[in-house]
Amino acid sequence: MRADTKYSNWQLAALVALRVMIGWHFLYEGLTKLTTPQWSAASFLLESKWIFAGIFKGITENPPILSIVNVFNTWGLIFIGLGLIMGCLSRIATVAGMVLIGLYYLCNPPFTGLYYAIPSEGSYLIVNKNLIEIAALLVLHLFPTGHIIGLDRFFYKLRSK
Amino acid sequence: MDDSSTTPKKGIERRDFIQGLATLPILGLFTLSWLNKIIHDRPKDVGLSKRAIPEDLSDINVAFLGTGEQGYILLNACLKLPGLKFKAVCDVWESYNQRRATQVLKKYKHEVNTYMDYREMLSEEKDLDAVIIATPDFWHADHTVACLEANLHVYCEKEMSNTLEGAHRMVEAARKTGKLLQIGHQRRSNPRYLHCYNNLIKDAGILGRITAVNGQWNRSVQSDIGWPKKYVIDSVTLKKFGYESMHQFRNWRWYKGLGGGPIVDLGSHQIDIFNWFLETQPKSVLASGGTDYYSKDTHEWYDTVLAIYEYETKQGIVRANYQTLTTNSSEGYFENFLGDQGTLHISESANRGGVYREPTAPQWDKWVSSGYLGAPAKVTPQSTTGAVLDVRETIGPDRHNIPVVFNDPYHLPHLENFFNAIRGLEKLNCPYDVGYETAVTVLKVNDAVEMARRLDFDPKEFRI
Repeated sequence: MRADTKYSNWQLAALVALRVMIGWHFLYEGLTKLTTPQWSAASFLLESKWIFAGIFKGITENPPILSIVNVFNTWGLIFIGLGLIMGCLSRIATVAGMVLIGLYYLCNPPFTGLYYAIPSEGSYLIVNKNLIEIAALLVLHLFPTGHIIGLDRFFYKLRSK
Repeated sequence: MDDSSTTPKKGIERRDFIQGLATLPILGLFTLSWLNKIIHDRPKDVGLSKRAIPEDLSDINVAFLGTGEQGYILLNACLKLPGLKFKAVCDVWESYNQRRATQVLKKYKHEVNTYMDYREMLSEEKDLDAVIIATPDFWHADHTVACLEANLHVYCEKEMSNTLEGAHRMVEAARKTGKLLQIGHQRRSNPRYLHCYNNLIKDAGILGRITAVNGQWNRSVQSDIGWPKKYVIDSVTLKKFGYESMHQFRNWRWYKGLGGGPIVDLGSHQIDIFNWFLETQPKSVLASGGTDYYSKDTHEWYDTVLAIYEYETKQGIVRANYQTLTTNSSEGYFENFLGDQGTLHISESANRGGVYREPTAPQWDKWVSSGYLGAPAKVTPQSTTGAVLDVRETIGPDRHNIPVVFNDPYHLPHLENFFNAIRGLEKLNCPYDVGYETAVTVLKVNDAVEMARRLDFDPKEFRI
């Protein structure tokens, strides 16, 4: 999709609202982890099921790598969140967001025959909220708005000079 | 959106600033919401999370009388308290208990005199202020009375005594001497229990009308405690201090005349909470028990006891059942207070406890906001089997954490309360009259087991 796509006012408003809300979600998740001193991805990773379980569980067995994963996860969430809210490097933010949430999905996929001890607030089969958020980020990537409403507008203008 | 917004024009215009920065106010809104949540979720000070640090830290001279397993726990807790000088250790097991206690005290730079006989200690040590007594139950009365009469404040482990006659003598001596006598029902000073009683039950009335109570302390099978053979006590010394053998010295809790059995060793702590939280003493008790598992030759006291009390509270009748097993540890130890609006599940075990709102009770949001309760979580998810008992089956209650964190040794606040009371800063949380009421309540269970019938309490029994 080209960056100079023309949207109606309602289309633009809906896309920006979706972008800001997903950004808000990322930012709050990241800040919560940052401000919870004892937080670690370990318990989530240890719950991993399916074919990638060995990789995810392996991270928890290596404390230095786990620390790096914790830092990348926390700051990744924060920067992606800020990028989406402010419309700053928003196309990079949408791709990074899809990769990050994709990893969450692959760690604990809601497939038949996999049972998780971490309580889930809903009922899911293959499609869960992570997958839906990935799909929403894909929409935002294909229908970008940061260059219209967002800091990307300045980059876009400067580059277009 | 009109073309001008997306069609590049030379230079950055006013419109670019407006649209480029249009979502920044959202960040402001986010920051405000986040700060508001941080402030709201911050642990509330409900008056119990911090211990008062006494300004008057004049030294209190302390002696330990009995430094076996329980005494050693109290000694280690005391080492965490400021303003105490440890002067003497008295224990009949010179080569083991006494030596272990003096070694740890020496490590913390306390030079102490050691004694085997408490009478000698009381005649030699002239500058003592207080004594911590953690000897076997049958010694409590003699030791406490002698120490009170030697003008010392006394912290005596529970059970106050293995006989009511002994407990009676302790009360008389405390009254006569005017010295402080704290009984070691340490839950009375535990900040989590204080929060539950003062804030949840008394202030918020969160449970509604309490209709039933249950509690238990189940323990796994335990064999003879044993002793290192090179540290054996000679038979003359053992006889002098009331024991027939080293085996009996180590396992005194199994013997009538020395201890009170599991209902006293374990149940006493929790039945004391029944009385405290219900703000009265029971009207009657019926009980069943026996030495069902172990040999009666070694276990004179019952290994299994089930008791049912009937209380008449200001709100109405409350039935309370208590169980202690020494053959199985299922579910460990806890107390449950069941009201028509909620259930309090509390245990001295720091990781246990919660308050459960009845589905029919009003919401508890205001108690979460005020810091009395943690945020709710659903206990049991909706049934996924499709099996339904009938339409009257109520859904699972919400579970709230008890938001008071307590990571200190369990006995520390109770000891601190004792020393602060000596300094005149606090009132004792478990003075002799409370300890006596609990002793009356608990010792009658063994009578009810023996007589195999329901026994009534005369309200006068609880008073001296």
